[in-house]
Amino acid sequence: MKTMRNDSEINFSNYGEYDINDNLDLFLPNTEIKIQRISDNTFSYFREDSEGKITEKIIPVKSNKLKIELSPIRPLNHPARRTDNIFLKFDKEIYLSKHSAASIFVHCPIEIGIFLIHDSNREPLDWITCNHLNSRFGLYGSPDTGTLCKYAKVSLATDYSDSIPYVEGVMKIVIENTLSSGQIVSKVIFPITDNSLYYENSKTIIDGIKITMKKRALVNIADVKIIPIDSDWIKSPTWEDNTVNTSMTMGLE
Amino acid sequence: MTIEFLQSLSEMQIVGELTVLSLLIGGIIMAGGVILAKIAKLLFQKYYAPTLPKDTAQNLSKLIYFGILIISFLGFTSSQGIDLSGIMVAGGIFAVVIGFATQSVVSNLISGVFLIVEKPAKHGDTIQLPDMGISGTLLDIGTFSSKIRKFDGTVIRIPNEKFFTSNIRSLTVSTVRRAESMVGISYKNDIENAISVITDEILTTMPFALCIPEPEFRVEELGDSSVNILVLVWHPRDDWSKVQPLLLTTIKRALDNAGIEIPFPQRVIWGAKD
Repeated sequence: MKTMRNDSEINFSNYGEYDINDNLDLFLPNTEIKIQRISDNTFSYFREDSEGKITEKIIPVKSNKLKIELSPIRPLNHPARRTDNIFLKFDKEIYLSKHSAASIFVHCPIEIGIFLIHDSNREPLDWITCNHLNSRFGLYGSPDTGTLCKYAKVSLATDYSDSIPYVEGVMKIVIENTLSSGQIVSKVIFPITDNSLYYENSKTIIDGIKITMKKRALVNIADVKIIPIDSDWIKSPTWEDNTVNTSMTMGLE
Repeated sequence: MTIEFLQSLSEMQIVGELTVLSLLIGGIIMAGGVILAKIAKLLFQKYYAPTLPKDTAQNLSKLIYFGILIISFLGFTSSQGIDLSGIMVAGGIFAVVIGFATQSVVSNLISGVFLIVEKPAKHGDTIQLPDMGISGTLLDIGTFSSKIRKFDGTVIRIPNEKFFTSNIRSLTVSTVRRAESMVGISYKNDIENAISVITDEILTTMPFALCIPEPEFRVEELGDSSVNILVLVWHPRDDWSKVQPLLLTTIKRALDNAGIEIPFPQRVIWGAKD
């Protein structure tokens, strides 16, 4: 197997759009991407990821140039798309006294998408995770009725600039306790599919959420709403799985 | 001209009061019934079946088709002036004879209806019939039999009666499933350390193993040669093949790396001395 270069020697590639005339090398933590022209209207795509897995693709193009965008995407695809929910387990518990509110920043894992740009359309080409060890599943609830989530143990961040490049973005969480007793918050579980991601250079921020703990009938519930970010950072395209199984007479797929 | 032709047909008697004309009318009724049944089945399959579960759609489609055919047949017999009451008496006796001869067929039919009503599993579910040692994907619950595609790619047909009366284990109802493997470690090794290294290896190298709930360990037996530990790992429902077959390999690698012995069966023999 090819040995990748030591990460400390590498200037990692920033997020953003890249025009490719002949070839392009992108370097990300534990990951290398090489795009090369192999004929007038064809490029090859090579990627070796943090697990040593190699992916190769051929990209036919209409024009003689190729344009791609490298951007952060929601952490739902590695190792396989199984759920829309994320389970963020805080490394430290948060205590909220009765009738109080708090605003915190947390690190949230991300994945990285590679999109082909045609006119103004972005088509998903590939995705990677630079930290596969923090890309695992967890179950919220009991095995028979629980919800499968992507699971990550996360730490608190200081502010939006505290993003860990290529690995974790920063998300703002507002927690409001309207109950008449103090509450300890140690984890947050929510569908992340409506939260957009924004990037600048190598950093990422994610739309926040507002959690309101309240009493409905005799049950304590947590109501979760998205707080969109008003930012100058560039909004990432939405990653949609473009794997389509097509059955054909001769078995081509 | 046409009227005269029809009159001549009505005068041509075949048997008793049965004329060529009445037979022609009966034929038209039956043909119309068959065409109507096919059109109704086609329309149902095109517009309504896609919104229903596949097995329900198939059975409703058959019900519509054969229902119209039976109504057409009744129309045909009444158009021929056939009195069914005589047949009913003979049919009663005939039904008893047929009933005895075809009780398994009827039993399968009734079981099929119960399977459709109770829905212990639906089309596409992965199920296991422990009594018969069959596991696979349920393809179809039909009128008399059900079909299961086994994991080796072959399709097995099971009479509905057997299917209905056997234990059915559904493997796709819950969100998650649990893989299990047993491993024995030497008596001289520390159990806590073995559990710790196995947990680390599973969570590091098996991306489909759930972090919550964590892998679970039970010391099952203080065996003849080893301390036997049962390892239980939860994973997403559809990823059994990415966890269970790899679990023992992962456990062995973890124990090998930590220098923990997996002992061979051994027996200590003491010789008697004078």
